[in-house]
Amino acid sequence: MIIRMAKVEIIGPKEQLMTVLALLRGRGVFQPDPALMRAGDLASGGQTHGLVLSADEIRERLFFEELRSSMRQLVDLLPELPVPSAHLHPLPVMDVLAELVEKHIEEAERLQTQLEEQRADEAALARDLVFWETLEPMLADLPEESDLEFLGVTIHDASHLEGLKQLLQERLYGQCEISVARTAEGALVGLVATSRQMADQLRSIMTDERVPELPLPEELAGLPIPERIVALRHRVIDCQAAIETCSRNLDDLARQWLPVYRQALDWLEERLALYRATATAYETRQCFVVEGWMAADEVDGLRRQLTEKFDGQVVLEQLEIMEEELDMVPVVLHNPGYFAPFEVFSRLLPLPKYTSYDPTPFIGLFFPLLFGMILGDIGYGCLLLILAVLLVKYCTGHPLVVNLGKVLGAAALYTMLFGLLFGELFGNLGEQWFGLHPLWVDRIHAIVPMIIFAISVGVAHVLFGLALGIWTDLRRHQGREALVKLLTIVLVLLGILTLVAWLVPKPWLAVRPLLISIAVILPVLVAAGGLLAPLELLKTFGNIISYVRIMAIGLCSVLLAVVANRLGGATGDVLAGLLVAGMLHAFNLLLGVFAPTVHSLRLHYVEFFSKFLDLGGRRFEPLERNGP
Amino acid sequence: MDKALIALAAALAVGLPAIATAWAQSRIGSAGAGTLAEKPELTGTIIILVAIPETMVILGFVVAAMILMMF
Repeated sequence: MIIRMAKVEIIGPKEQLMTVLALLRGRGVFQPDPALMRAGDLASGGQTHGLVLSADEIRERLFFEELRSSMRQLVDLLPELPVPSAHLHPLPVMDVLAELVEKHIEEAERLQTQLEEQRADEAALARDLVFWETLEPMLADLPEESDLEFLGVTIHDASHLEGLKQLLQERLYGQCEISVARTAEGALVGLVATSRQMADQLRSIMTDERVPELPLPEELAGLPIPERIVALRHRVIDCQAAIETCSRNLDDLARQWLPVYRQALDWLEERLALYRATATAYETRQCFVVEGWMAADEVDGLRRQLTEKFDGQVVLEQLEIMEEELDMVPVVLHNPGYFAPFEVFSRLLPLPKYTSYDPTPFIGLFFPLLFGMILGDIGYGCLLLILAVLLVKYCTGHPLVVNLGKVLGAAALYTMLFGLLFGELFGNLGEQWFGLHPLWVDRIHAIVPMIIFAISVGVAHVLFGLALGIWTDLRRHQGREALVKLLTIVLVLLGILTLVAWLVPKPWLAVRPLLISIAVILPVLVAAGGLLAPLELLKTFGNIISYVRIMAIGLCSVLLAVVANRLGGATGDVLAGLLVAGMLHAFNLLLGVFAPTVHSLRLHYVEFFSKFLDLGGRRFEPLERNGP
Repeated sequence: MDKALIALAAALAVGLPAIATAWAQSRIGSAGAGTLAEKPELTGTIIILVAIPETMVILGFVVAAMILMMF
């Protein structure tokens, strides 16, 4: 249901404004609405005007905003460590923190830069080392003193290797040897050996052929290859040590200062939120005025708290909600007990207006009923009930899943009830094994009765929606709209009676008087609702016929179950039969959960709610901690 | 021959709306997928929108059932 709201005005001395706003934020029950003041006192030409901060307050706000920005920057720079919270009131030390924060940002930036550079170096060196370590076994067998020059290369395309070998043989007159290996990461590297005299020519060929030399820091370029590898290893170790030192320094800085800055940042956020909230306040020469909305049940508690805390200097007054303000009233939905889980479905819609209805109780009442009518099977109902119990019991950490489990539980009970009425247990298995007979109707064969039943459900549901629409219109003093809905109801009933009289002639039910009645009422409908009213009437008939889906989807479900049983039986083997039938029943159950859910919801959203629900309400967004 | 024509009529009564429904759902489904990429919170609404054209095939099914039973 929609919580009853109250329009309230809070008045007090100007110097108490921030304290009052802090109290309101702490309680989280009041939503300020400056538009109320604009619509009321200001229009009457009173002395109230929008609150203007003093020069000191503006200076303080700017100082706090700048400080918050710096502190956020610092907190982002420091590592996220699980540090204990500080027990320090930040206000007395805010000036000191303002000076310190810049130094700490500088220090943190320096350490972060160092850390990034060292990490980049280490990554590059480690990458190079992988290549050189791959070539290391090839160098192990070579004599220490030789007239050979070695060149490490990276070969990007393995298909070019043979061509490269041939080219080197030709250009270096056979004084060249190339060995290749793959790194653990799959890259192809080569070691090219040639005489010292040919080395420059070799490099020239490699450059022309765009075969890159293995990367190496410049200072290591002059070293023989085995020494290069050792030097690279040392460099990697040095980098790792430097990274560790930088990280440790950053951690130390974070451990020492993060609790203080986090505490200060929270305080600043709260303070600045209060400053933002002052934009919703108005002032006279002496007082501040805040108008807004809160749940009517909370008014007395807040009034008592304000009176106690401010010795009666701050007054809360409940004002009358004017008719033109009804669309401004924010909406809170609250549904206790059985209905609460069904809010997962009503949240799919925009919020209803304050003067409309909460759709949740209607979904709670009718959704499981329609679901049960469609699925209607004792076996499937039992399985769904077990699933619902498991969801509710074992998914306690996921409120959405628990709520869906509860909805499924209610739907499963109705499924079992209608399964009993239809005499279905996994399709016709109940009849075959246990001689189960329908208590009411066998829907496989009674197609026409089921169509009539589904349409009857539609008539009841849609006309109930129209009746609620009449009540809503009357409450909003929209007599013409109410009359149109009333005439629509009458015409629908007359139309149905005419159809019945035509199909099943009865002496007491003559077609002619009914047609005359329709002919008389139809022009009244057009006069009251305009030219579109007959179209709306046709739409209402369409809405009613749409309920035939209850029969159609239900029939598909039961026929699939029967097919599953027949196929299972046709295998001639107990195990294979159970497997085939089980799989088909599982598929049918999956469809049986999805289709009735979607179609039941659609019948609510499109056919039912369109008759009376007025959507587009404002969400209640009170001042609260961690709020805007 | 009459039976065959009745069966054909029933098949057309359910088949043509089924094709129309499939076409409408394909359009709504692709638009819905695009919407969900931007606003995942509209999942429920999109599912409902996809289900809306099914009215056609359901009514077609009813007409087909009527044809088979009345003739």
